[in-house]
Amino acid sequence: MSSWLDYTINGLIVGNVYALVAVGLALIFGVSRLINFAQGSIYLVGAYIGWVAVVQLHTPLPLTIIVVAVAAALVGLIIERFGLRPLQNSVRIAPLLATIGISFVLDQLVMLTFSPNPRALPSQLPDVRFQIGGGTIGPLDLLIAGVGITSALLLFVFLRYSKLGWAIRATAQDRDAAMQMGVDVNRVNQAVFGIAAALGGVSGLLVGMYYNQIDTAMSLQATLKGVVAEVVGGAGNVPGAVIGSLLLGLVESYGVAVFGTSYRNLFAFLLLVVVLVLRPNGLFASARQAPPEPLTGTFIAPSRPVRIPRWALLVATGIFAILPLLPVSFYVLQTLINAWLLGMLALSLTLVAGTIGQVSLGHAALLAIGAYTSALLSLTFAVPVGLAIIGGGLMSAALGTALISPSFRLRGHYVSIATLAIGEIVSLVILNWESVTRGPIGISGIPPLSLAGYELVSPISIYCFSFIVMVVLALLQGRLLGSHLGRSFRAIRDDDIAARAYGLSLNRYKSLAFIFGGFAAGVSGGIAAHLYSYINHETFNTQQSILALTVVILGGLGNVVGAIVGAVALVGLPEVFRIAAEYRILIYGIVLLLLVRFRPQGLLGTM
Amino acid sequence: MTNSPPDALLALTNVNTFYGQAQVHFDLSISVPRGHIVCLLGGNASGKSTTMKIILGLVKPRSGDVTFDGASLLGLTTPQIVRRGIASVPEARRLFADMTVRENILMGAFVRDDREAIAQDLDKMLTLFPKLGQRLSQRAGSLSGGEQQMVAMARALMSRPRMIVMDEPTMGLSPLYVDRVLELIRTINREGVSVFMVEQNASLALEIAHEAYVLQTGKIVLSGSARALKDDPRIRDAYLGGSEAA
Ligand SMILES: Nc1ncnc2c1ncn2[C@@H]1O[C@H](COP(=O)(O)OP(=O)(O)OP(=O)(O)O)[C@@H](O)[C@H]1O
Ligand SMILES: [Mg+2]
Repeated sequence: MSSWLDYTINGLIVGNVYALVAVGLALIFGVSRLINFAQGSIYLVGAYIGWVAVVQLHTPLPLTIIVVAVAAALVGLIIERFGLRPLQNSVRIAPLLATIGISFVLDQLVMLTFSPNPRALPSQLPDVRFQIGGGTIGPLDLLIAGVGITSALLLFVFLRYSKLGWAIRATAQDRDAAMQMGVDVNRVNQAVFGIAAALGGVSGLLVGMYYNQIDTAMSLQATLKGVVAEVVGGAGNVPGAVIGSLLLGLVESYGVAVFGTSYRNLFAFLLLVVVLVLRPNGLFASARQAPPEPLTGTFIAPSRPVRIPRWALLVATGIFAILPLLPVSFYVLQTLINAWLLGMLALSLTLVAGTIGQVSLGHAALLAIGAYTSALLSLTFAVPVGLAIIGGGLMSAALGTALISPSFRLRGHYVSIATLAIGEIVSLVILNWESVTRGPIGISGIPPLSLAGYELVSPISIYCFSFIVMVVLALLQGRLLGSHLGRSFRAIRDDDIAARAYGLSLNRYKSLAFIFGGFAAGVSGGIAAHLYSYINHETFNTQQSILALTVVILGGLGNVVGAIVGAVALVGLPEVFRIAAEYRILIYGIVLLLLVRFRPQGLLGTM
Repeated sequence: MTNSPPDALLALTNVNTFYGQAQVHFDLSISVPRGHIVCLLGGNASGKSTTMKIILGLVKPRSGDVTFDGASLLGLTTPQIVRRGIASVPEARRLFADMTVRENILMGAFVRDDREAIAQDLDKMLTLFPKLGQRLSQRAGSLSGGEQQMVAMARALMSRPRMIVMDEPTMGLSPLYVDRVLELIRTINREGVSVFMVEQNASLALEIAHEAYVLQTGKIVLSGSARALKDDPRIRDAYLGGSEAA
């Protein structure tokens, strides 16, 4: 590919593919104000069903498309019926978390069924290219454009002229009023999920054919791109989603043309952050329109937290502190070291999510910043490791807060999207900023943990070090939350409008929470870097962010002891039951789903 | 307090409603006789809109019963209740702002399938609300408050309801539109539709109602025929905005 026209065609084709995902997201957001994080998983399922159809059943192309659309729609209907409908009367964050859990479960099921290795998905179309102007176009491009345009037209006619289409539009504008007209909102949800899933599945199929390759990593990428396109077009705005998608495709394509392939996603997420910050209602919303996000009730309500007597905490801490002196295996210590590191990340997340209500989906980025800072400080500038780790914490605190601060005025689901995007941006900058981060090669030979000149290499010393650091962070956070400042944090979470009316400066408090949280996460990342001795841009990924979120919800949002208990449970239990590594993510997804459904306040209760 | 007479079309009996811990209704009993206009009066936050939501099934009471034409509505969903023949004009009208006026009115006929009769009813609405004729393809959100009220009423009538419930239909309207709305309610009622309406403005409501109830922090404190209540000195109490009535 060489000419600008080629890049334009490529951008529009990819945009078409995004549109198929984004339109579904917009429909769902429209009727239920939910960002469906499982949309990419349905796309993944569509691609693999397509693979089975093409490679194993040798179906002709039109039949393949129909099979994929129907099968994906079925998956969508099942998700709606069993995953989301039971949560109708729960807090607003519950369905969002459920779709995250569902996406983990679906992705893992696909991975377990088909193995994580990429597969070829031939397009069955002749490999010819037609000359147009200065560029070329192939039959597959035409197919994608055709499917995109046909679906858009069908959807338009359906929404405009069918009774169910009217019901969908009415529900999107005013759910209660639609019910008072006799609209069965459950049927509307069903229809919307079915349509969204069919479109998403076909999109997965087409992308697989376009690149002649499918693998399980497609899922998260598709969700992210779909969300970007949808938010750019204005959440819930169906035509906006189409335009947003084409725009995203073009921006990416031109970005690639100028800077190279590894910049593709960076442009996508930068576009998202810019739109979120400057025009949170999307490019096409009239300025007067209020954000469609409901402003209250987004968070899991405070419950009566389980009171743990101080002596019990002291005894538990004591037992864990002297554990290395007892005859336990290194394997147990190793597992607990992982739990302490995850515990620090969970402390950080439980502070920002549970206390000021910013449910972050990109928290692993703070680990990455801490890890890289600490690694580079000790390697390049020979800073003692202990100091380097503190440096990592400070850098995470500063950089993390600076990156998130433009998004402070966002609420609810938008915060989650922004944090997700910022998390991706951090990892993409690490990938591309080779002169500092060594790019895709990663950093190796990171010196081991040491304290005052003594290297900590034995599992016992590492255990003690990480445990002490975590306990100190937990104590600090406990003090913080018990203070006046902690009460102000909670006031902001519960009702930021009222909090503002009382004269609380929201941005200052949100910054404080992110500074403290960023420090804890950065320290955790720093320790991890010296522990692993090798890190790269994928060491700290979205999976870890979601794992941390699961830990936090398991323990009870905002609950300091809960974060640690959750980390020990989630890291420890799979070891106790000797669950094979490939099933763990599946288990985490299921745990998240069950929690949201049956115990949203977690084990120890929200604060 | 009147016990619900046997010919009541709608009856609430001893309804107790809660939002979480907070109780909004205390043993609320209201009955709407067939063919009557019944008005629920009360000040801000007295639980009027919640009464509408109870009738429509949007909120379920903790105890008590709601019956329509003798059958309980408690086990039904909102769409099912609407199909029984109750239409609503919600508080602040709640039109579908991005749909056209025509689409809004037709949304009212969502529960019906008789296409031709629906088209006839649409024409009928345009004679009843002549102003809407020129506005049919306009976005509903772009109408004035009074026009929106007309659309909301037309929308409610399109389901051919046996009963309409209205939440403060005159709120925020100019005096001209207020008179127009009251007159329309009378017309609708004369055609056989029972009306249950919520109002803050007692003097307006009592002009057209047959019976009225006065709600104060979730309890019925006064009820009776509109004629009797009009002359009741207690009706001029502060909680009714007595200065206007005086
Ligand atoms: N969804 C809700 N959740 C919790 N409390 C509510 C909810 N809706 C209403 N309330 C509370 O219930 C009480 C009664 O509300 P309601 O809307 O029924 O009053 P109203 O008489 O219609 O008031 P107004 O004249 O302002 O329309 C109020 O104190 C209100 O704050
Ligand atoms: Mg009200």
